[in-house]
Amino acid sequence: MRTYELVFVVDPRVSDEDVVAMTQEYKQMITAGGSQISKEESWGRRKLAYPIAKLNEGKYVLLCIESEGGKSSLPEVEHRMRQNDKILRYLTVRTDEDLKRAASRHPKTAGRAGESPGGPGGPGGVGGDTAAGPATAGEV
Amino acid sequence: MARPRKVFYRRRKVCKFCADKIDYVDFKDVKLLQQFIPERSKILPRRISGTCARHQRLLQQAIKRARHLALIPFTTD
Repeated sequence: MRTYELVFVVDPRVSDEDVVAMTQEYKQMITAGGSQISKEESWGRRKLAYPIAKLNEGKYVLLCIESEGGKSSLPEVEHRMRQNDKILRYLTVRTDEDLKRAASRHPKTAGRAGESPGGPGGPGGVGGDTAAGPATAGEV
Repeated sequence: MARPRKVFYRRRKVCKFCADKIDYVDFKDVKLLQQFIPERSKILPRRISGTCARHQRLLQQAIKRARHLALIPFTTD
């Protein structure tokens, strides 16, 4: 089984409902391609480290995906994201191999790396950022 | 008349990831990554931070991913 993490940054002018709708659409594409969504997180509005398309903020959404075998619709999802100009950035990372390698290094602490990749710092790492909040605050 | 030799004590640097048993450097963990990007937002070299080779490699990858998503800056001007 392969696991992926997909993070995308949406234009902050898009309303929260529309972000949810967009996420829903992508999730449907993923599940239609025979993969499961194992985790979904919305980090909400966050300050960008540098301006993208003259915007200083973005809304972050994280999807953790589990896919069986080789087939998955991720290329199509990425293609759609590339064409959607409301999406400022996206990143898909395959995580199963790295996590497996990490688990074999320290079998005792492996669970920690696996279950909460956000770690103690969590995704809302930057201090003083109100939008960062608890990572799961905007959970849909 | 031999002058007393100056003794240098150099604190031995330890790889933070080995010490904390972090085997997977997550690009989403901004707080962790920020410890390795000083003011100019460059990646802190191994010779300064003491990170071991394998962890520096993982760290480098994570920082680059985080940069792409604008979680951490490329530069500070």
